[in-house]
Amino acid sequence: MQRNVLAQRQQIDREDADLLKRIQRSDQRALGSLYDRYVGVLYPFTLRVTGSNEAAEGVLHDVLLHVWEKSSSYAPQNGSVYAWLVALSRMKAVEKMRAANQKRKQESEGGAQRSASAADTKQPAAETIVALKGYAEEVRNSLKSLSKLELRLLELSYYEGQSQSDLARMLRIPLGTIKAKMRRGIQKLRLSSAEEAK
Amino acid sequence: MTTKPEERHEQLELCIPYVFGRLNPGNRKQFEAHLTSGCEKCIHELSGLYEATALLPLLLRQETPPSGLRQRILSRASSKKPEPQRVERPSAQRESPVTPATRPEFPWYRYAATAVGILMILALAYFVYELAGTTTRQQKQIADLEARLLQNDDVLAAFGAHQFEDVPLTGVEPGSGFSGRFFWDPSNRNGVLQIGGLPVAAEGKCYQLWMMKQNKYFAVMQFDVDSGQAVFVRMLSVPVGEKGEIEAFAVTLEPKEGSTQPSGAILLRGAR
Repeated sequence: MQRNVLAQRQQIDREDADLLKRIQRSDQRALGSLYDRYVGVLYPFTLRVTGSNEAAEGVLHDVLLHVWEKSSSYAPQNGSVYAWLVALSRMKAVEKMRAANQKRKQESEGGAQRSASAADTKQPAAETIVALKGYAEEVRNSLKSLSKLELRLLELSYYEGQSQSDLARMLRIPLGTIKAKMRRGIQKLRLSSAEEAK
Repeated sequence: MTTKPEERHEQLELCIPYVFGRLNPGNRKQFEAHLTSGCEKCIHELSGLYEATALLPLLLRQETPPSGLRQRILSRASSKKPEPQRVERPSAQRESPVTPATRPEFPWYRYAATAVGILMILALAYFVYELAGTTTRQQKQIADLEARLLQNDDVLAAFGAHQFEDVPLTGVEPGSGFSGRFFWDPSNRNGVLQIGGLPVAAEGKCYQLWMMKQNKYFAVMQFDVDSGQAVFVRMLSVPVGEKGEIEAFAVTLEPKEGSTQPSGAILLRGAR
């Protein structure tokens, strides 16, 4: 199974690299393919960060256009295309979120509650992507090692940009615990990604 | 920018807050400068963190993207052009502001279409210009024809007068070829001057008709002629007193603004 997932992952990376090369040659069909490939993950992701359908759509729009215009800025040695897309999406989404900071703060508590149940989702976004099906399943299994609190802290921090101090205040947990839990959660994430990449 | 190994190690601690966007602008700028210096440890650490955090979105609940989003993005992309390939540092790749380029895409067929459009506009402008010129020329021709018709009417009216007079004018200089006649009706003082053989007046000059009475010249009117052709010039209210006072008519070449007394040689002369 692990070998199959690894093969899938390598295949995905090769196809992504090929799509980027075609995009660099102004092949719009390649951009469409990249959209089809990742919209199922990126749209829920940007929606989660921004909390607004309109903003999420705007972020996705900006990210795909960024890829279209600056695909040559992707450096394969620094990570996968997927990780690059997620990083770009997060950056754009956080920018939008900060622009509407006041509103986001009011919604942050509700967002935290939503994120707590995110790991139990019945329809993971990645399953909309045929190429990522097995890979996503494996990732979910590996992330089961994350405790609920670790996952919640990671999500609040990653999706909403909450600082550790904010998290400590909000969740009424000592700052030291927050730091330790987050560090451990990141280590588990890294282990999962490293195992997938082996 | 070169960085000491121990400093690089300290910077390694900034990778997580950097990926999670928790560095303040000053620290972030410093850290990105550090990445630009080429710290392989930090770049490797960041790469691993980006891969790790990219797993989190895989856990999210499926959401249906808005219908038409794909088409909107592709439509927008069709008006943009990818930038030429270039090498970019990892830090810039990851965290540089995403600023949509404003340079529009202009493939060859758009240049061609634009060129054809410009040519069509130029052709249309030329056509309109020519049409306007033609219209102006035709309007001038119509005005000339109307003037000639009016002149012919005068000529006919003068000839049809009960007591019209015909005063022949001849060139003063022998062999000049100048000739003319002055038809006029002394009763209503209207007349028509017919001239032939006179060259076109030089720049700033015109011809002038005079009448003589008691050996004095009185200006009647100025006129121009076309090259070598006989012309009819209408004259209204010829300033004469009693018809018996007029002794002769004469034509001279004068300045454009006209003269009160002949300044040039008499070219044509005719006595009653």
